[in-house]
Amino acid sequence: MSADILSIRSVSKNFPGVLALSSVSFSIREGEVHVLVGENGAGKSTLVKILCGYYKPDKGKMFYRNKPYLPETPRAAMDAGIRAVYQEFNLLSYLSVAENIFFDRLPRKGILVDKKKLHANTVDVLKRVGLDVDPGMPVELLGVAQMQLVEIAKAISSKCSMLILDEPTATLSQGEISRLFEIIKTEQQQGLTVIYISHRLKEIYEIGTRVTVLRNGELVSTNDVDKVSVPQIVSMMVGRQMGVEYPFNDAISPKSEPRLEVKNLIIAGNPNKISFELKRDEILGIFGLVGSKRTETVRALFGADIKRGGEILLDGKKLDIRSPRDAVKRGLCLLTEDRKTQGLVLDMPLASNETLAALNRVTKLGLVNKHVEHFESRRLSKGLAIKTPSVYQLARNLSGGNQQKAVLAKWLFRDAKVLIFDEPTRGIDVGAKYEIYLLLWRLLSEGKGILIVSSDLSELMGVCHRIIVFSGGQVSGEALRPDFEQERILKYAYRVS
Amino acid sequence: MKKLFAIIMAVVLAMCLGSAALAAEKPVVGLVMKSLANEFFKTMEEGARKFAADDGTFELIPVGMNSETDIDTQISAMENFITQKVNLIVLAPADSVGLVPSVKKAVDAGILVVNFDVTLDKQALADSGLPQDFLFVGPDNEEGSYLVGKFLGDKLGKDASVIIIEGNPGADNAKQRKAGFDKAVAECGLNLLASNTAHWETEEANTVMTNLLTRFPDVKGVMCANDSMALGVVRAIEAAGKSGQIEVVGFDNIGACQELIKEGKMLATVDQFGPEMAANAIKVGFRILNGESIAGWEKTPVEVVSKENLK
Amino acid sequence: MNTKRIAYLLLNEAGIGCILALLCILFSYSVPNFASKPNISNIFTQISINTVIAVGMTFVILLGGIDLSVGSMLALCTILAGFTITNKELPVGAAITLAVLVSMLTGMACGLFNGFVCEQWKIHSFVVTLGMQNIARGAALKFSDSRTIFSFPAEFNSFGLISYFDVPVIFIMAITLVLVGHFILVKTIFGRMIYAIGNNEEAVRLSGHNPRIYKIAAFMICGATVGVAAILYMLRLNMASPILGNGFELSAIAAVVIGGTSMSGGKGSMIGTLFGAAIIGVLNNGLLLMGYSDFTRQIATGAIIIAAVILDTYRAKLLRMLSS
Repeated sequence: MSADILSIRSVSKNFPGVLALSSVSFSIREGEVHVLVGENGAGKSTLVKILCGYYKPDKGKMFYRNKPYLPETPRAAMDAGIRAVYQEFNLLSYLSVAENIFFDRLPRKGILVDKKKLHANTVDVLKRVGLDVDPGMPVELLGVAQMQLVEIAKAISSKCSMLILDEPTATLSQGEISRLFEIIKTEQQQGLTVIYISHRLKEIYEIGTRVTVLRNGELVSTNDVDKVSVPQIVSMMVGRQMGVEYPFNDAISPKSEPRLEVKNLIIAGNPNKISFELKRDEILGIFGLVGSKRTETVRALFGADIKRGGEILLDGKKLDIRSPRDAVKRGLCLLTEDRKTQGLVLDMPLASNETLAALNRVTKLGLVNKHVEHFESRRLSKGLAIKTPSVYQLARNLSGGNQQKAVLAKWLFRDAKVLIFDEPTRGIDVGAKYEIYLLLWRLLSEGKGILIVSSDLSELMGVCHRIIVFSGGQVSGEALRPDFEQERILKYAYRVS
Repeated sequence: MKKLFAIIMAVVLAMCLGSAALAAEKPVVGLVMKSLANEFFKTMEEGARKFAADDGTFELIPVGMNSETDIDTQISAMENFITQKVNLIVLAPADSVGLVPSVKKAVDAGILVVNFDVTLDKQALADSGLPQDFLFVGPDNEEGSYLVGKFLGDKLGKDASVIIIEGNPGADNAKQRKAGFDKAVAECGLNLLASNTAHWETEEANTVMTNLLTRFPDVKGVMCANDSMALGVVRAIEAAGKSGQIEVVGFDNIGACQELIKEGKMLATVDQFGPEMAANAIKVGFRILNGESIAGWEKTPVEVVSKENLK
Repeated sequence: MNTKRIAYLLLNEAGIGCILALLCILFSYSVPNFASKPNISNIFTQISINTVIAVGMTFVILLGGIDLSVGSMLALCTILAGFTITNKELPVGAAITLAVLVSMLTGMACGLFNGFVCEQWKIHSFVVTLGMQNIARGAALKFSDSRTIFSFPAEFNSFGLISYFDVPVIFIMAITLVLVGHFILVKTIFGRMIYAIGNNEEAVRLSGHNPRIYKIAAFMICGATVGVAAILYMLRLNMASPILGNGFELSAIAAVVIGGTSMSGGKGSMIGTLFGAAIIGVLNNGLLLMGYSDFTRQIATGAIIIAAVILDTYRAKLLRMLSS
C-alpha cells in the first residue's frame, strides 16, 4: 500500500449563508484514482477550489507530501504539481493546440518562440493522451472531447503529480469515455495521482481505487471501491435509501393519435431530413451520442435556431415557427441543457424568472402587479417544492435542482402544451432527479406532451414509453418500453456516425 | 483585385490631369479654412467665394475642417494643394506650430503661402528655416479685445469689478484676446475678480457665469473671448435677475449678439470683418504675385461695435 | 431584519445619495453661498439637461449598449426645433408645440436608426452610434448652414426663466422625466424586460420574447429624452446651434456610471442616475465657488468618476456578503 500524498485535516469553508465544507478530513494515496462523489452542494467543487488555490479554507490544515500545504494562488498550486481540468475548459480558443498546451512555458529561442521545439513537444504529449490533431490547429475548431484531451495534455505535460478531473465524462460519448479511462490508467501506472469527480456512479468501478462520499459539506466515508455497492453509495449521498430509481407509472399509456408531429425537418449543417412524432399521453425520449444533432434538432423545432425546411404539427394543426416567440405562442416550450446561460436570468429573483414567459398573467395595463406575482410565484414554488428562503432569492443562489424546477415553473406558468426537456437532470443530485421524474409523470397526467433529450440512456430507459435514437443527424432506430435493451439502442446510436 | 486597383489608379490619374489642365487656364487659389461648423468661418468662406465669383480672374478651391482641432484635415489639404501645384495657398492654421512643416513644404515647392487669421508660431518658423516675419494678413486679436475691454472699462469707471470668460486654453487667439483684456483691465484700473474658461461654448459659459455670479454677486462687467460665450453669459445674468446691472462685451460680432446689443443686454462686441478676411488675404497674395514685396504683419481693421455704430 | 434592509438601501441608490449629501455638506461649510437658495436653484438648472439625457442613456446602458450620438443628436434636435419655433407663419402656441414634437420625433428617429442597425446586423452600438454622432452633427450643420438660430418667441424664452419656490421649471421637467423613467423600470413589463435582457438576453429570447424590439425601443427612448433635452437647452439659452452638445455623451455616461449602473448591463437604477448627474453638477459648482482653476476642476471630475466606479466594486462585494 502506497503512502499518502495529500492529507486534508478538518478543513472548513464558509460562504455567506452556506457552510460549504464542515471539518472534512481524508487523505489521498499516491498513485490512486480517488473518486469524489456527492450531491450538488455537497462541497466537491469547494474542496477542489481550495486544493487549487482559488479559495482559502477558514479552518483546518492540509499536508502535501508531508509538508503543510496552503496555496495562496492558483499559480502556487500548479507549482506544487496539483492541476485541475474543469467542466468549463480554460482554453484560449483562437490559439493553437500547441500554444495552449505550453502557454505558460513556451520554448524560447532568444526573444522568439522556438516553433520547432514547440511542435515536437506537442506531438509527444498529444501521443501520450492519444489525440491525433495537428498541433497548429486553433482550439476553437476542436470538438468537446478533443478540447478535454488538450486540457489533460496541458496538465500532465507540466510538472504534475496530482490531476483533478471535474466531471470529465459529462459531455463525452461512450467511445470517448473509454478512451479517456485508458489514458487515466496509463498515467496512473506512471505514478500520477488522480482525483476524479463524477455523477455517474458506475464509472467509480471502472476507474476508481477508492471512493469518498461527501454530503452537505461533510465527509460521509472513504472506502475501497470493491467494498461498496451503488445502492450503498447512493444512500450515503442522499442520506436515505432510494426505493425505486425511476418512478414509472403503468396507469398512463400512450394513445395512437399524435400530439406533436415533426415532418422532414431540415436543420443547419445537416443534409438529412428528420421526422418523428410524439403521441398523446406519451413520454418520448430522444437518445443520441455527442454530435448526433439531438440538441440541434429540438432547438430548431423550437425556433431557437434556424430551420431550413420541414413541417411541425401540434394536435394536427400546422405550426409556423420562426422564433421561440412563435413556438411559445403555440404552446411549445424548451428546457435547455444549459440552465444558467439559456434558461434563467441569474441576477433576477426566482419570482421574476418564474413569470418571465407569461408576464401578462401578472400585469395590468403594462404594470407588474407585485402582489399577484408574489402569490403566483409562491404557489408555483410550493407546487414544485422549490427550496428557497423567499421567492425574491436571486436565481443564482439556488441549487442546480431548484434552478431546473424554476425553469419548469416558468413554463408551467405559461401553460405550455408540449414540454421539451434537453438533459433535464444534468448536474442535478440524485434526490432532486427523482423529484424531477415524479414531476414528469404529474405533468403527463395533466395532459402535457413530454419529449426528453438525453445522453443518459439509463435515465431514458427508466422514464420513457418510447425512445428514438439519433445518429449522424438522422433517426437511426426506435425502441418501445417492453423491449428496451441497452445493447440494441447503443447499436442504433453507433450505426451511422 | 489587380484590375480594380488599375481602374482606381486610372481614375486618380485622370483627375490629376484634369486639375492640372484647369490650372493652365486660370491661377488657382487654395483656401485652407478652419471649422466651417463655426459660423464665423462659414461667413468668412462665403465672403471669399463671393469675392472669387465677382473677381472672376482666378479659381478658388476652399477646404474646411470638421472641428476646431482637426489639424490632420488641414495638413492633408495643404499636401493636396502642393501636389496640384496651385498658385497660391491662403491658410488659417488650426495650430500655429503643427502647420509650419506643411507651409515649409509648400514654400519649397515654389507656392506662395499667405497666413491669415492666426499667426504661425515664430519659433517654429525659425526652426524650419522660414523667416520669422512670415507674411501674415489678419486682425490684431489683442488689439481688438483691448479696445472692447477699454470700452467696457470707460463705461464702468475705475475700480469696477469684472470677470473674464476665456476661450479654449492653449488656443492662440484665446491667449491673445485674454492678453488684450488684461491690458484693458490694468489700464482702466478695473478689479479683476476671476478669469475662467468656457471653451468657447454657450452652455458652459452659462454654467460658469451662473456659478461666478453666486460667488461674486457685485460684479459689474464681463469680458467674453467670443460672442457664443457672451450669449450664455447674458442669459445667466437674465436668469439671475440682474439684467441692466452687469455690462457684457464679446468678440466676433455674430448676428445673435447684434440683437442683444440692440436690446441693450450687451454693451459691445468686436468686428474683425470676418467675411472680408479671407478675401483680403487672397488680395494680398495676388499683390505679391504681381511683383509687390510685402512681409510681416499686414493688419486688417478691427472695430468695436456698440449700439451707437450698429446699423 | 430592519437593519439589513437599511444596509441594502445604503448599498444601493441611498449609498450614492449619501456621497452626494456628504459632498453638499462639505461644500456648505467650506463655501459661502453654496447652500444659498439661488445657488441651489442654479445647480438644479445646470444639471437638468445632463440628467434628462442620462435618463435615456440609462435605458441603453442597462441593456449593455451605449449611445455616443446623444450630443450630436441634441444639436440636430435644437436646429430642427429652432426652425420650427422661429417660423413666423405659425401662431406662437402652435410653433412651440410643434417644435417640441419635432425635437422629440427627430431624437426618436435617430434612436430608431441606431437600434435598428445594431439589431439587424448585430453590430455593437458603440460603432453604430459613433457613426450616428457624425451623421447627426453633419445633418445639423447642413440644415442650419452652420448658423446659430435665435430670436425665439418671447413666451418661450420667458418660460425658461420661471421657477416655483426657487425650483426652476426646467429642473421640474427633468425630475418628472426621472420619475417616469424610474416608474417604467420598476413597475412595468417593459422595465422588467430591460433588466432581464441586460442580464441574459438568450434566456429571454428562449422564453418566447423578442429582445430586439426592446433594444430598439431603448434607443428610441434615449432619442426621445435627447429631444426633450434639446427643448430644455433652448429654454435655458434661447438659442439653437449646430455645434452645441460636444462631449455631452460623456457627461451622460459618467452620470449613469457614477449612479451605479453596470456598463455590461442588467444592473442599475434611475434614481442612481439622478444622483450621479447631481454629483457631477455639485462638484463643478462647488469647486468653482471655492475658486479652484479650470484645470483643477477637470481633474477632480475625472477623479470622482474613477472613484465612483472603484467604490462600486466594494459595494458589490458588501452586497454579496449581506445576501447571506
